[in-house]
Amino acid sequence: MTQLDTQSTGLARRDFLKVSATTAAGLSLGFYWPNRGDAAETPKLNAWIEIQADETVIIRYARAEMGQGSRTSAPMLVADELEADWKKVRIEYATAHENLRTKRAYGDMAAVGSRTIRNSQEYLRKAGATAREMLIAAAANQWGVPVSECTAALGKVHHAASKRSLSYGKLAAAAAQLEAPKEVKLKDPKDWKIIGKPLPRVDIPDIVTGKIRYGIDAQVPGMMYAAVAACPVFNGKVKAMDASKVENRRGIVKVLNLGEFVAVVANNWWRAKEALREVAIDWETGDHGQLNSAAIMASFKAGMGQAELAVARDDGNTVQALASADKVLEAEYYTPYLAHATMEPMVCTAWLQGDKLDVWTSTQNPEGTLAVSAATAGVAQDKVTVHPMQLGGGLGRKSPQDFTRQGVMIAKAMAGTPVKMVWSREEDIQHDLYRPASLVRFKGGLDKDGKLNALHIRVSAPSILATLLRLPLPKGVDGQAVASFNDHPYDIPNSLVDYAQRNSNVPVGFWRTVGHSQNPFMRECFVDELALAAGKDPLAFRMAALGQKSPRDMAILQAVAKAADWGGPLPKGVFRGIAETEGYGSYTACVCEVSVSDKGEVKIHRVVIGIDPGHAVNPDNIDAQLQGSVVHGLSAIFWGEMTVKDGRIEQSNFHDYRLMRLNEMPVVKTVIAPTGGFWGGVGEPTQAPLAPALCNAIFAASGKRVRSLPLKNHGMSLKA
Amino acid sequence: MAQARFDMPAQVRAGEVFKLRLLIQHPMETGYLLDLNNQRIPRNVITDLRCTYLGQEVFRIEPSSGLSANPYMEFFLRATQSGDIRIDWVDDRGERGQLTRTLSVV
Amino acid sequence: MPQTSHQARRRAWLRHSLGCWAALGFASQVKAQGMVSGKLLSLSQMLDPIVAGAKLVRADVHIETVILADNGLSVPFRVWVDSPMTAQNHVTHLWLLSQRNPVTVMAKAHLGPHSGRAELSTRLRLAGGQQLVALARLSSGEFRYELADLIVTEAGCVDSS
Repeated sequence: MTQLDTQSTGLARRDFLKVSATTAAGLSLGFYWPNRGDAAETPKLNAWIEIQADETVIIRYARAEMGQGSRTSAPMLVADELEADWKKVRIEYATAHENLRTKRAYGDMAAVGSRTIRNSQEYLRKAGATAREMLIAAAANQWGVPVSECTAALGKVHHAASKRSLSYGKLAAAAAQLEAPKEVKLKDPKDWKIIGKPLPRVDIPDIVTGKIRYGIDAQVPGMMYAAVAACPVFNGKVKAMDASKVENRRGIVKVLNLGEFVAVVANNWWRAKEALREVAIDWETGDHGQLNSAAIMASFKAGMGQAELAVARDDGNTVQALASADKVLEAEYYTPYLAHATMEPMVCTAWLQGDKLDVWTSTQNPEGTLAVSAATAGVAQDKVTVHPMQLGGGLGRKSPQDFTRQGVMIAKAMAGTPVKMVWSREEDIQHDLYRPASLVRFKGGLDKDGKLNALHIRVSAPSILATLLRLPLPKGVDGQAVASFNDHPYDIPNSLVDYAQRNSNVPVGFWRTVGHSQNPFMRECFVDELALAAGKDPLAFRMAALGQKSPRDMAILQAVAKAADWGGPLPKGVFRGIAETEGYGSYTACVCEVSVSDKGEVKIHRVVIGIDPGHAVNPDNIDAQLQGSVVHGLSAIFWGEMTVKDGRIEQSNFHDYRLMRLNEMPVVKTVIAPTGGFWGGVGEPTQAPLAPALCNAIFAASGKRVRSLPLKNHGMSLKA
Repeated sequence: MAQARFDMPAQVRAGEVFKLRLLIQHPMETGYLLDLNNQRIPRNVITDLRCTYLGQEVFRIEPSSGLSANPYMEFFLRATQSGDIRIDWVDDRGERGQLTRTLSVV
Repeated sequence: MPQTSHQARRRAWLRHSLGCWAALGFASQVKAQGMVSGKLLSLSQMLDPIVAGAKLVRADVHIETVILADNGLSVPFRVWVDSPMTAQNHVTHLWLLSQRNPVTVMAKAHLGPHSGRAELSTRLRLAGGQQLVALARLSSGEFRYELADLIVTEAGCVDSS
């Protein structure tokens, strides 16, 4: 059994203040918050702020940066309450091993679920506010004046009455000796000076000049390189391996049979990759080599008709309401498996030295990396250092630790030598944890006035929670599979949402926006079908269906419709489509303006896309997320699809898993409409309304109703 | 019958307290998951495991789905005389397993 | 050992409503849930059914486990109790209790003076981060216990709003 980290079971848990002055007379503030009973959420903090004598304010960032920009926006929350001068702020990572050592003073470190800002905003702002109060108190002490007569702004404390000021750099050491106030009052949003400003991301200069270090850029002296191949048929294993052709080749160090995969270790990656192609591997695939897309679809269809279903929502009496509805509409929709295809493939550099392990990897979940690395290498958790790296894209792929486990297995086999494992693009596309495919049947009932009265949505799809995470599902429902259905905003008396769990041997995982990446397409397109059947304008139909129950959905819908001038004149041949949805605590809407040629060429003239995230911490960043969602979304909508043949994924690289090109980018108008009073996510929900708005516009333009993606399967293409 | 491993010291002194380690190959199916034919995999866990020494039950554990697959256990016994130590277990399906080792006590 | 009927279990599982979710006010609808399953029991909900009013003290029991796990499938766990393990004074039972798993009693061990040492190590399967309780019954009829908080990192972009 591996060495275990002992929990402090003997010590009483108590909250106490830990402060320490750095040797350079800086200020390092530490906090312990009382241990809470509910284990699910952990907003703890410790040592978020350090202030140097030269006025540099070091703010720690505890999650991952993968282009979503929260390495800039999360510290903005601290800096605002702190009343720091943003120009003097330097952001440094908190590390997983430090979090372990301090018993999770930095709280949750995973950058997933669009929750960095909304889950950490309170404790980050409190960290800033508490530090500010201590700095003010230190100045007041020095001047011998009441604290109430002092104010803080731009890195200085001022005493207006005596016209005196002291900078934070000069106050830090004294402030560090003081006791932190137990309670602090946070600013009213109208008083924010940094939050809400479109500040440029702090990593942009390094990205543009090439200085930035992604996981793939890790360099360790004496490092070897590894290329890996896992079984192309999922869940297969190595039966036999013959490396005789390459073992003695120049530069090849070792060929490893690690059961689930084969690794070639060489003194450069190209040699490793080329040699791997000539290692003869006999795979044990069991029955899985029979799997194909048709069989998977047959399984989904069987799920649609299965007797036992898990019920995710049951309001009123939907079956009866549909039976007696004035008009009933039924439609079946389908979305395919998708690969993440992050620009940077899976990478992990690891170095096992005795009982000590160092890992450099692009991970969305550094604590997960630490736990898996320790268990895989057989070392104690407190002997593992996970070095933070910038991610070349995460998109939900880099939170599960399957690839870091491989990297550490290789490092263990090569104990003493650092090894950088890099997946080829083919390995990456064919060993993904795919966005699940989903077959959904809608039945909607309209009353005689054309108002939506009943909705029955049945989902037949894999469960990520049950297969990837092996979690028991409450009531048999995977909330991700029914997202946007079980929580739809429409105010109707009868809603029934049921779910048939239909897994296949294709492994599934969290693709950006997860269930909200596909379900809003299906829901909002069906809503348009209902609007048409009711003879109503799509916007008016939605507004009637929303009623009074969902004011925020209504607000963003109207804001985006207004920004797009819905109902206003358009050039000949150009048509609009609209959609609204919610997810990750935010509300989004989109209007697309398209024209469609006889040949199915879709010209997108404009995308108007908006979000209400409650509070907009960094509008420039939110703009980038909205625009980036259009790129990511359109690639998936037009071409994204994984097909399965002989148990394996047929696609392998960007020639058959096409991404959008620069010249195909449409004009994008962004709408940021925060209504305040809550904190919603931004990284993922921005993508949700795009597909339905586009397909609704395509219907308006061509009369062609698209009920499945990608559009290429309907003979449609994106016109540059 | 499932594969299993049972470790204990080859020889102990009378009165000594010694550790037994047990590793049993068993899926410990929770009953919450579906197989690839989308049929629920029925719960199948080891429900009762007993250790008998010199004919007397000296340790017993009743696991549930809360123990991980391929259950690993360590527990202790006080040595009295040389004799057989026998481990018996049964799972939800009624399938039984058994391991016996002879303890040498000096 | 009674065999559990596969069919009956399946129907019971699918129709098992309200037990977990009503407590959270989600009576007829399951919102997109967080990664973990089920609700969290309180300490008394975990202990009362077993202790049933006997004397209970948080002492003498020790837990050694990891603080952090990537997933909950196999978490090492060691528990021991300060006890002379004599015929007059020994631990009779040890329970490993879960705050969040569908089955609260993860294991129940029977010990006695012949155990020599009241200690058990095993590997647990956890449905997410939670508090674990090790509960011991002494030959006097009194109970002793200890708690440990375990964090299971959330591996995905789950919408738990």
